[in-house]
Amino acid sequence: MAVLSRALMRFSSALISILGSLVLVFFIIYMMPGDPVLSMVDPSTTSPEAIDNLRKELGLDRPFYVQFFEYFTSMLQGDFGQSLVTSEPVLPKILMHLPATLMLTLTSIIFAIVIGVTLGVLSAIYRNRWIDVLVRMIGLFGISMPTFWSGILLILIFSVHLNWLPIMGSDGWATLVLPSIALGFVGAGLILRMVRTSMVEVMDEQFILTLRAKGLSERIVMFRHALRNALIPAITIIGMYIGDLLAGTVVIETVFSRQGIGRVIADAILTKDMPVIQGVIFFIAIVYVTVNLLVDISYSLIDPRIRRAR
Amino acid sequence: MRGNLYQTKYLVVFIALVLFLSGCSQGANPDGSTQKSGVQTTAEPTYGGELTFALATSPDTLDPHRSSRAVAVRAFRTIFDSLVVQEADNSIQPWLATKWTVSDDGKSYTFELREDVTFHDGTPFNAEAVKYNFDRILNPATKALNSRALLKPYESAEVLDEYTVKLNLSTPSSSFLSNLSQAMLGIVSPTAAEKYGDQFGKNPVGTGPFKFVSWTENADIKVEKNSDYNWGPSYVENQGQPYLDKLIFKIVPEEATRVGGVQSGQVLAAETVPPQNIVSLENDPNTQLLKVNTLGLPYTLFFNQRREPWKDVNVRKAVMLAVDVETIVKTLYMGTYERSWSPLTPGILGYDETLENSWEYDPDTANKLLDEAGYVMGADGIREKDGKKLTLNYVDASPNREKRNDIAVIVQQQLKEVGIAVEINVTPDFMTVIYEKSDYDLYGNSQVNSDPNALREIYHTPDGSRVLESLVGGYDPKLDELLEQGTVESDPAKREEIYKEAQQIIIDKAMIIPIYIFPYTVAASNKVNGITFDSLGYPLFNDAYIQQ
Repeated sequence: MAVLSRALMRFSSALISILGSLVLVFFIIYMMPGDPVLSMVDPSTTSPEAIDNLRKELGLDRPFYVQFFEYFTSMLQGDFGQSLVTSEPVLPKILMHLPATLMLTLTSIIFAIVIGVTLGVLSAIYRNRWIDVLVRMIGLFGISMPTFWSGILLILIFSVHLNWLPIMGSDGWATLVLPSIALGFVGAGLILRMVRTSMVEVMDEQFILTLRAKGLSERIVMFRHALRNALIPAITIIGMYIGDLLAGTVVIETVFSRQGIGRVIADAILTKDMPVIQGVIFFIAIVYVTVNLLVDISYSLIDPRIRRAR
Repeated sequence: MRGNLYQTKYLVVFIALVLFLSGCSQGANPDGSTQKSGVQTTAEPTYGGELTFALATSPDTLDPHRSSRAVAVRAFRTIFDSLVVQEADNSIQPWLATKWTVSDDGKSYTFELREDVTFHDGTPFNAEAVKYNFDRILNPATKALNSRALLKPYESAEVLDEYTVKLNLSTPSSSFLSNLSQAMLGIVSPTAAEKYGDQFGKNPVGTGPFKFVSWTENADIKVEKNSDYNWGPSYVENQGQPYLDKLIFKIVPEEATRVGGVQSGQVLAAETVPPQNIVSLENDPNTQLLKVNTLGLPYTLFFNQRREPWKDVNVRKAVMLAVDVETIVKTLYMGTYERSWSPLTPGILGYDETLENSWEYDPDTANKLLDEAGYVMGADGIREKDGKKLTLNYVDASPNREKRNDIAVIVQQQLKEVGIAVEINVTPDFMTVIYEKSDYDLYGNSQVNSDPNALREIYHTPDGSRVLESLVGGYDPKLDELLEQGTVESDPAKREEIYKEAQQIIIDKAMIIPIYIFPYTVAASNKVNGITFDSLGYPLFNDAYIQQ
C-alpha cells in the first residue's frame, strides 16, 4: 500500500514538473527580446500592413494569457500547433527527430556508465597508485572539457587524420561512436569520481573486513558487496546527469551534423519558432522526468533499506 | 525527496541553457555572396558521380518566392531557372526568355520565351506560367518576402500569345531585369505550386538542371540531374544536362566538421571556410579553395545622423579617420578578406575604383577636427563639450558573424586614442534597437544585391512607405536626386556615372565607414572540377564533374 501511494505521489510530482516547465518556458519566451514576425521579414521592403497581417495571421497580436490558454488547451488535445517558419505540424517533426536523440543519449549513458564504473572501481582498488592518479586525471578532464571541444578533437583525430569513423550524419552505428564518446565523457568523469569516492568509503567499513575475514574471495567482496553499496550515489548522479546529456545533444548534434531534437530546438530558437520550442521542451521534460522516476525506483531495487525506510 | 529536488534543479538548468541560446537568436537575413569566377578546367569532363556539398546552415525553404536565406538559394538555384541571366560584366543575357523589348516609357517589358522548356513534372513552360509566377509573388497568401521586394514595381502580366508575355510596372525601374535574373525570382511549376500549396518549399518543382529528390531535415537535400535539360544560361559552358548524376547538399553547421569532412574525403566540397582554415587549405595538396567576393553592399558601419554630434560631418569624418580599417581587416581575417572603400562592392555596376586608397588612417587630423568641433580632452582621456562626454554607442548584432563583434572591440580601442568613449552594445534584438528605436550611434550591416539601386533603400530620404527606420537617418538633396535618376536611367554608361557620383558624396560626407568585402568560399577536393559562381556569388553546378 505504501509502495503504491508513494508511486502515485512521485508520478503526480513528475506531472507537475512537466507542466511547470511548460508554463515557465512559455512565459520566458514571451518576455524574451526579439519579435518573431520581424525576424521573418525583410525590414527594408515589407510594408507595415504586411507585418500587421502576418502578426494577426499567426495570432501573435492577442494578449499573452489568450495565447497561453489557447496553446495549453490545444496541446492537451494533442495538437502542438504549426511551425511559424515552415508551417509544418510540430508533433510529427518532433517524433521524427526524437529517436535519433534518444539513441544518442542512450549510447552516451552506456558509455559513461561502463567507463565510469570500471575506472572508478579500478581507481578505488589501486588507491594512490599510478592507475589511480591516471584515472583521476581522466575524470578531471572529462568533467572540465567542454563537449564541443572534445567533439572537435575526436573528429580531428579519428575522422580527419586516421579516417576511421564517419565525421557527420546519423545513418548507422558507426556515426554514433564519436558523438557518444564526446557526449558521454563528461558523465564518465562524474560517475568515476563518485564511484571511486564511495568505493573508498565503503572499503574502509567494518563489514568489508568481516567479509574478508570470512575468507570470501576478493572478487566477491569487491563486486557483490562493496560495489553494490557504492552504487547508490552513482545512480543519483546518473539521474541528474540526464539533464546535462539532453542539453549536450544541442551541441553534439550540431558538431557532428546529426539529426535530432537538439538541432531542432537550436534552429527553432534562432528563428524564435515558439510552437517548436514549446513542443521540444515538452518532450525533453517527459524524458527527463521519466528517467528520474526510474532512477528513484531503482534505488529500492538495489538497496532494500530504502524500500523499507521510505 | 532529494532526487526530486535535483531533478527540478536540472530541469531549470536545462531551461536556462535553452534561454541562453535564445539570447543568441537573430533574424534570418540573407547574407554573403559574389562575382563570377571561372574555376579550374583540366581534363575532359566525365559524366556520372555524386557530388556532396556541405552547407553551413539549413535552408528555410526551397520555395524561391518565400525564401529569405542565401543558403537556400545555393540549394534551389540548381532546381529553378530565371527569365534572364546577369553576366559578370553586368550585362543581361537570355535564359528562359530569348529576347525582350522595353516600352518607351520604361513601364512595360515584353518577353519572348523559349518554346522547348518543360518543368520537371511535365508541365509546359509558357507565358501563362510566367504570369502565374509573378502573380503568385504578389498574392499575400504566398507570404513572399525578398522576392516581392525584388519584383517591385511589377504590377501585372498579360499573356500575348503562348510564348509571349508582357509585364507591366507601375514606375520605370532600371534594376528590374537584373532583379529578374536573381534566383528568388526563379520560375516555379504552376501545377506543383497549386498542388502543394504552402508545402511547395518541401516539394519544389522547376525547370532547372537538377530535379528535387528529397529533403531530410537537418541532414541533407538531394537533387538529381535533369536529363532533358537543354536550356542552360550563357554563363556556364555546359548548356545541356549536367555531368553529375546526383548532387547532395549536406547540412553541417560546425565549421571544423565541414572543413574536416573535405580533408578526410567524407564530403567533396564545403562552403564558408573560416579564415584560419583558408590559409591552411591553400597549402593542402589534396584540396582546392574557391573564393569569390560577394556583390552588393560591403560590411559597412553606418552613423546615425539623427543624433548629436553625428549630424556634424566633421565629427563623423574624425571618427572615420581615427578608425584604422586596414589593421582591423588584416588582424581579424589574416589577409583572406579584402578591405572595402565604397558603399558598394567592386564588380557591381558603377563601382568607383577611385575611392580606393583615397584616404588613410590619420589620428592627427581626427584630433584636429574634434578640437575644432569644440571637444576638449578631459583628464580621463575622454573629450567633452559643455560638460558632456563624447561617447559613441556602437550596436552590433549577436551571434558574432564573421567576427563582427571583434571589429567593435578594436574600434573601441582605436577611438579611445582620439578621446572618444565607445560603448559596445551587442544584442540579438538588433531589429528593435536599430530599425524600430534607432537607438545607436554606429551600426554595421551588409547586403547581397545585383544592382546599385540597392543604395536607394538606405541613403535616400524615406518616402513614407517604410515601416522601419532607415539606417543613416541623415540625407543629402543631391544624393537623393542621383539615386532617383539611377532608378529610372536606362543607359548603363550614364547609370555608372550617376552611381560614381553618389558613392563620392556618401564617402565625402562620411556617412559610413566601409570595412570589408565578404568572400564566399568553398573548399573542395581536387577531384572536383568546374564549380563556378553566378554574378552574385552563388555556386553553379552545370559544369561540375568529378574526376574518376
